Amino acid sequence: MTNIIMVAGIVLLFAFFLILIRAVKGPTVFDRILAINALGTKTVVLVAVIGFISERADFLDIALLYALMNFIATIAVLKYIELKRLD
Amino acid sequence: MISNLFIFDSILLLLVTITAITVVQVKDLFASSMLAGLYSLLMALVWTNMHAVDVAFTEAAVGAGISTVLLIGALVFTGRQEKKSDGVKPGALLIVVITGGALLYGTIDMPAFGDPNAPLHTHRGEKLLLQNVGKISLDEKGQRVDHPLYTESYQKEHWDLGDYGSGDEWNELAKSNDFYLHGAPHIPNTVSSLLADYRSFDTMFETAVILTAGVAMLILLRRREEDPEPTMDTADHDTIKGDN
Amino acid sequence: MDLAWNDYVTIFLLLFGCFFALTGGIGIIRMPDFYTRIHPAGKSDTLGQFLILTGLAFQLIETEPELDWSYTYSTDPWMCLVRLVLIIMIILFTAPTATHAITKAAQLEGLEPWVAPEEKEEADEEASDAVNSEDDGAQEDSGEESND
Repeated sequence: MTNIIMVAGIVLLFAFFLILIRAVKGPTVFDRILAINALGTKTVVLVAVIGFISERADFLDIALLYALMNFIATIAVLKYIELKRLD
Repeated sequence: MISNLFIFDSILLLLVTITAITVVQVKDLFASSMLAGLYSLLMALVWTNMHAVDVAFTEAAVGAGISTVLLIGALVFTGRQEKKSDGVKPGALLIVVITGGALLYGTIDMPAFGDPNAPLHTHRGEKLLLQNVGKISLDEKGQRVDHPLYTESYQKEHWDLGDYGSGDEWNELAKSNDFYLHGAPHIPNTVSSLLADYRSFDTMFETAVILTAGVAMLILLRRREEDPEPTMDTADHDTIKGDN
Repeated sequence: MDLAWNDYVTIFLLLFGCFFALTGGIGIIRMPDFYTRIHPAGKSDTLGQFLILTGLAFQLIETEPELDWSYTYSTDPWMCLVRLVLIIMIILFTAPTATHAITKAAQLEGLEPWVAPEEKEEADEEASDAVNSEDDGAQEDSGEESND
């Protein structure tokens, strides 16, 4: 079963790579933000998958933290773009 | 035999390298700071893979979260495009290459990753591990079940405590200590258990100090009514156009 | 390798999740502009992640004690299930919200939507027809033929 989850993890990493190409290329800023936001949520899933591969479920805590941090970072970036300042 | 996590690590490090090169290459500072956040996220995944959970926590919270926000806050006061650099300077390049080479040379002597005979595992850490921090699990009757690594026979065979006392002594100490059996700090990761169980008061007051410092900084740096608000010159910093 | 029933459920969900994750990745690469890239990033990816995490959640059912629960933070899988459900809920709520916010920011910035080349030509022709309204019949005919 661990091997099957690992295959899923490698497929996820491949999708990660594809989106990373868009984050690197991305002609406009919004493409980059979109790609990096998508990568952030993918990281959450990847951490959970790594936790299940290495059979340590306490990794789910980190995944939870990532899910929250990613949302905060995205909103901060968007606030900067809309208001041109952060406070 | 290639382990599962080794494959993961290889792919992850490849992605980290790509991201790092892009962070340097991209001329748009906004995109660069966002990619730096992504770099931290990837590094945190690498730490997770190495089971360094606390480092991964910090990397995710500070690297991907706070520092991205801080960098973007700095961008409010500066331009969005990087200034043209003068190209490669041979002297600086030489210094960097020599320093990098020396650092790489230094890693040759280091023990392999996860080597059980590394000084870290044989010298001081062993004593800490033997204190049974959170290594105790209770079965359904409430009796203690030892992890196979911490049974007495294993310790006698593999661990020579030398100056720190014999394995039996430590084991007796741990068994006689009811606090750890029923009290019961139960954090499986040794580093986390040290931070949270043994040093909890320390950590708590560190947090208080940092909170005080933060409040003081806020009071000093707060914006007064008469200060003009910093805004970006939208004509110079067009957010739409990418650079490549 | 003998698999319990929950393993089959996991494999099924992981398969679909990986499919949607890959589709999202390819879509983000292939789509022509920002507004179209929102679709793979916002919908396909979120669904893929939801399916994968749900698939992982089925591994928490202990048909055989494969995961060493005694070595983890809490001994019972229920706490892990609660965390997984929290992660799933957070992703399910924040990912589309973030995508929506990005789109709104882009729209406020005045990012122009992409138009297919043929339609763009047509729109240009119509604009030019409106300007000089004489002998527009031949032009219109040729435009329609090229579209077919």
